[in-house]
Amino acid sequence: MTVRLTRRAFVGAAVAAPAVAALPISLQSVGAQDAGFTVTMVTDTAGLGDQNFNDLANAGGTQAAEDFGIEWKVLESVDIPAYVPNLTAGVEQGPLTVAVGFLLTDAVAQVAAQYPDAHFAIIDAAVEADNVQSVLYREQEAAFLGGVAAGLMTQTNKLGIIGGQRIPPVIRYEVGFRAGVEAVNPDAEIVIAYADDFGDPDKGKELALAQFADGADILFPIAGLTGVGAYSAISELNNPGEQWVIGVDVTQEHNAPGFEAFVVRKGVDTGVYQAIEQEVNGTFTAGVHSLGIAEGGVGFEDPNGRVPAEIMTEVETFQSMILDGSLVAPSTDEEYEVFEVPAAG
Amino acid sequence: MADFFDINLLKAILRMATPLIFAAMGGLICERSGVMNIGLEGMMLTGAFVAVLGTYYLHNPWWGLLCALISGALVGLIHAFWSIGLRSDQIVTGTAINLLAAGITIFLCQRLWQQSGRSPQVETLPNVTSGVNVLVPIAFLLVPVVWYFLRTTKPGLRLMASGESPQAAESVGIAVDKLRYVAVMTSGMFAAAGGAYLSIGSLSLFTRDMTAGRGFIALAAVIFGNWMPIGTLGACLLFAGSQALQVQAQIKGIGISTDLLLALPYLLTLIALAGFVRNSRPPAGLGQHPTTH
Repeated sequence: MTVRLTRRAFVGAAVAAPAVAALPISLQSVGAQDAGFTVTMVTDTAGLGDQNFNDLANAGGTQAAEDFGIEWKVLESVDIPAYVPNLTAGVEQGPLTVAVGFLLTDAVAQVAAQYPDAHFAIIDAAVEADNVQSVLYREQEAAFLGGVAAGLMTQTNKLGIIGGQRIPPVIRYEVGFRAGVEAVNPDAEIVIAYADDFGDPDKGKELALAQFADGADILFPIAGLTGVGAYSAISELNNPGEQWVIGVDVTQEHNAPGFEAFVVRKGVDTGVYQAIEQEVNGTFTAGVHSLGIAEGGVGFEDPNGRVPAEIMTEVETFQSMILDGSLVAPSTDEEYEVFEVPAAG
Repeated sequence: MADFFDINLLKAILRMATPLIFAAMGGLICERSGVMNIGLEGMMLTGAFVAVLGTYYLHNPWWGLLCALISGALVGLIHAFWSIGLRSDQIVTGTAINLLAAGITIFLCQRLWQQSGRSPQVETLPNVTSGVNVLVPIAFLLVPVVWYFLRTTKPGLRLMASGESPQAAESVGIAVDKLRYVAVMTSGMFAAAGGAYLSIGSLSLFTRDMTAGRGFIALAAVIFGNWMPIGTLGACLLFAGSQALQVQAQIKGIGISTDLLLALPYLLTLIALAGFVRNSRPPAGLGQHPTTH
């Protein structure tokens, strides 16, 4: 009998240990001890370390913690069932909980209804509730400019898009980019391939290798960690100056030095920072907050000076058209279908 | 259509099959000895992580590979200790290994490199020819080696006897438990090699859960291949082939819906399983112990 119990205890411990290890109650806490309150961020299943979406959100929160003397905590979600308990834990920590990612939409709607007095901010998704701020980015604006630059830079007249899953923020990137390419180079071919996964870099590499083999010379990976594979592919092929990859959300130049053409930036940090700032100042408002080029939420950047000057001029022309409202980049398949470039002014 | 099936597609199939073959050969040896191994995924993930860890600190990917193999053997030892030594439920133990590997690799990334989802870039194992890593031919060579070992060598035949009828094997003097320990540890080493292929063969870094279910696909390949090395190789090639075709079909734009293409590998598996594996016969002693204590 004792043997039996021991055996059970062993297996029990085996199952419990990783579960505890994988659900850190507080992975990091930043901020002064005398902090007024705590703000908690809940990641999607991609988690911290994507050097992208979640890390940027964490950077925005960490900065806000330093500036406003609040305490900043991050809860990583190991799987989808962890969303609701993590959000609930966030509510118990303090007045504002930041949910990072479209995948948390339903969980936020559910928890926000249970805690009508708590405040929530969700990045990349719209949740209709009196206590939820929905921070949406107009990725299509920056992607459009990326498409303009890529459409003019391509030597083979063929471009590749590697997608994670076809969820709305990815669609905004995809259709914005395609519209930008077509605006300046209607003859260019765009090869689109989806991995159906944001966390499989080996598959991303295969998709990238296949696109390069097919003749594409500039790739636009909108795929989280899967997109890291595109950088592996390009450094293995090693054709500097002939093949490029576009940085998405934030530069990833360190993954393949010399191969990143330019960056289509998305300031997830800005959205998180602003939500916390509003909570601190007591100006938190529910509803949709849309961040585009005008608000500094997204943008086209050329940190390594690899975009030729005449192409940069074109990009700036289109940027001013977006800013003055004469060009509205498409954000859905339907808008893309009917999109027409306004007569160049 | 001429440029649809080209040398690049062939190389892609070989590359995508490589991690599956390593893990599947590990799973095959383990299950042939009579121990279920649902922990292949965790063993692969551990191997992928330790390969990067070893390469990072020893500055040589071959040492990284060696570290990965040792780590795989150690995880195998854990599985063996629980499922053979303590006679716990082998499915539960395997699941525990998968959860443990997923948690501990993320935890160590955070501790060692202050980034929880990925490692820094490290050096990779060399390619034998453009786009074909040195681990690719090694994986394919492993198949006849496993076949030869099981079919013709004394320890191989004893191992299969332990898997078919542990009681009978023990009654004729075969040290069933000892053989199984070795088999499970070997399976951990092979699976770890598959993981190392991903992290220091194909890519040059570790990312969280980068095995992305390949351990489970490898296990399916073992079942699909009817626990035979050649059949299992065929199953690995079928899975890899359907994935490579799916990639190629998306890029060549053959006008089929993306969703359907993404489901293609799984559909092919279903069709193949329904059509061919009517006579599936696992080792008769799978999950059984030689004597009841």
